[in-house]
Amino acid sequence: MGRTAEQWKQKPPLPKTHYVDTRVYTDEGIFEEEKEKIFAKTWMLACHESELPAPNDYRTYHHPAGVNLIVVRGEDDRVRSFFNVCPHRGNTILYSPSGNAKRMTCIFHAWSFDSEGNCVGLPREKAGYCSGGDCSVSRDDLGLREVKTQVGYGGFVYVNLDDGCEPLEDHIGPALDTIIEQIDTEPLEVFSYHRAVVNTNYKLWHDTNSEFYHDYLHVHNRLTSMKQEGYFERKMIPYPNGHAEVGSQEVHYEAYEGGKGRAEAGFPGVEGNPWSLIDLFPGYSYNLRASVLRVDSQIPLGPNKTAIEYRSLGLKSDTVEQRRQRVLDNQTIWGPFGRNLHEDLLAVDGQGRAIQNGSRYVLHAREEDSTIHDEVGMRHFYAEWSRRMGRLAGDPTKAVALEKPARA
Amino acid sequence: MTIRAATRKDLDTAVRELIYRSCLRLDEGDFPGWLELCAPDLRYTITAYSPEIRQEMTWLDHDRDGMEGLFKMLPKHNSDHSPLTRHASVYLVEVDEERGEAAAVTSVVVYRTALDGGATDLFAVGKYFDNINLEGETPLLAGRNVRLDTRELGIGSHFPL
Repeated sequence: MGRTAEQWKQKPPLPKTHYVDTRVYTDEGIFEEEKEKIFAKTWMLACHESELPAPNDYRTYHHPAGVNLIVVRGEDDRVRSFFNVCPHRGNTILYSPSGNAKRMTCIFHAWSFDSEGNCVGLPREKAGYCSGGDCSVSRDDLGLREVKTQVGYGGFVYVNLDDGCEPLEDHIGPALDTIIEQIDTEPLEVFSYHRAVVNTNYKLWHDTNSEFYHDYLHVHNRLTSMKQEGYFERKMIPYPNGHAEVGSQEVHYEAYEGGKGRAEAGFPGVEGNPWSLIDLFPGYSYNLRASVLRVDSQIPLGPNKTAIEYRSLGLKSDTVEQRRQRVLDNQTIWGPFGRNLHEDLLAVDGQGRAIQNGSRYVLHAREEDSTIHDEVGMRHFYAEWSRRMGRLAGDPTKAVALEKPARA
Repeated sequence: MTIRAATRKDLDTAVRELIYRSCLRLDEGDFPGWLELCAPDLRYTITAYSPEIRQEMTWLDHDRDGMEGLFKMLPKHNSDHSPLTRHASVYLVEVDEERGEAAAVTSVVVYRTALDGGATDLFAVGKYFDNINLEGETPLLAGRNVRLDTRELGIGSHFPL
């Protein structure tokens, strides 16, 4: 029987941790608060070190807190990050998404900076700033704003806008331990990158990566995983700070038309065709399917708009044949023409539309002993979200003080 | 008309018609009809260059069997069924009569029209780089590289371009 308007608005008769008020996906004020309380204070994944192979190589990154950054490898091989903002008149310094610049020069007035953020070029400096003999401005005061940067966990470049932030290791904790051998034994390399801008909230994409009940969406996963032995024994494992892991399973790729095993081009320590997925708070995921590591990182652009960056990686030492195999494995389900990614994006785009137009609560209530269709991964994420925001996801109108994560 | 007896102009026209017909059949969702235009040794790829990672990327790479398998599985997948419409302009046709083949470069613009409401949006721009087999009764598509300029493709697609 359908529900009346009044019934539709009623909170679900469930524990407060088992549903989410959809205003956390739509409210402009909550989104602005997330930028301040979460994105500006959390380690965010900016790029991969293979995108900066040589000294003075750079990448630009639009940080979810709303700041454009430059990530650059110094001549000392250290990777640093800076605001992509000229301290003179606030122009963008680097316009290209990547490149190599011994001097990063603003096109506006030709102020230039080195890879350590020092101001090293200032046209007509003495004429403008030292006309009376004493200089009114020193280059030492004109350096770029540097941002905390660490490289790790497969060679990814993480940045944090908070100068007083905890170390990256404290944020990640043990969440990536089960795949650390695979991703940290030898250097990785990105071989495919694209981004999708979708009219949905970033948390909804993270939710999609955090629950596998939606395998019903994918015929590929139904055939290669759900119908195979071991699928329903896979465990969802919550980690501190809102991270969660989906336990591995041997995937039978040959069960899908034209599919075949991926063991020929694996990662160190990988045997057969395992599949591990680890979701890191607040919006990135490591997804390792034997021969390809896909890493998603989100750049929320508004309450109902997010840019999702997709990187697919193999080993830097790949032979031509190994790389070709990884590319072929990647395209079957991932990439903009892959079978699964399009389905996931279709679903999350539909969620974005529904949640803007009538959805009131979403349920995270499945409990199956923390196995694959248990929705504990999402509950664990929102416990951390609530702690950081000081609001319950199930009732965001009331501020609450939560020192420790709410029960998942 | 056999290929051997055809004039250069006839061949040029036949190649152009093949390319336009390939667009029409994909627009119509006539995948068996599209495969009829393809040679047994077809290789179909979608590629792009990423200035972010400064690398060439391959997003789809299939031989004829692979394309048949892709089409066969389409009805079993959840997909956005908003139709894609291809607007093609054949820029160059180079016929090599000695080798019995031709190469063509075609500018292609792909639009997506929403099923709900019918609004049309630009989906992608790029070029077809085609290799065409001229040795049979009719020209056949032996290779198509869809070279995309567009890299941000929204929710993506299950359909070849």
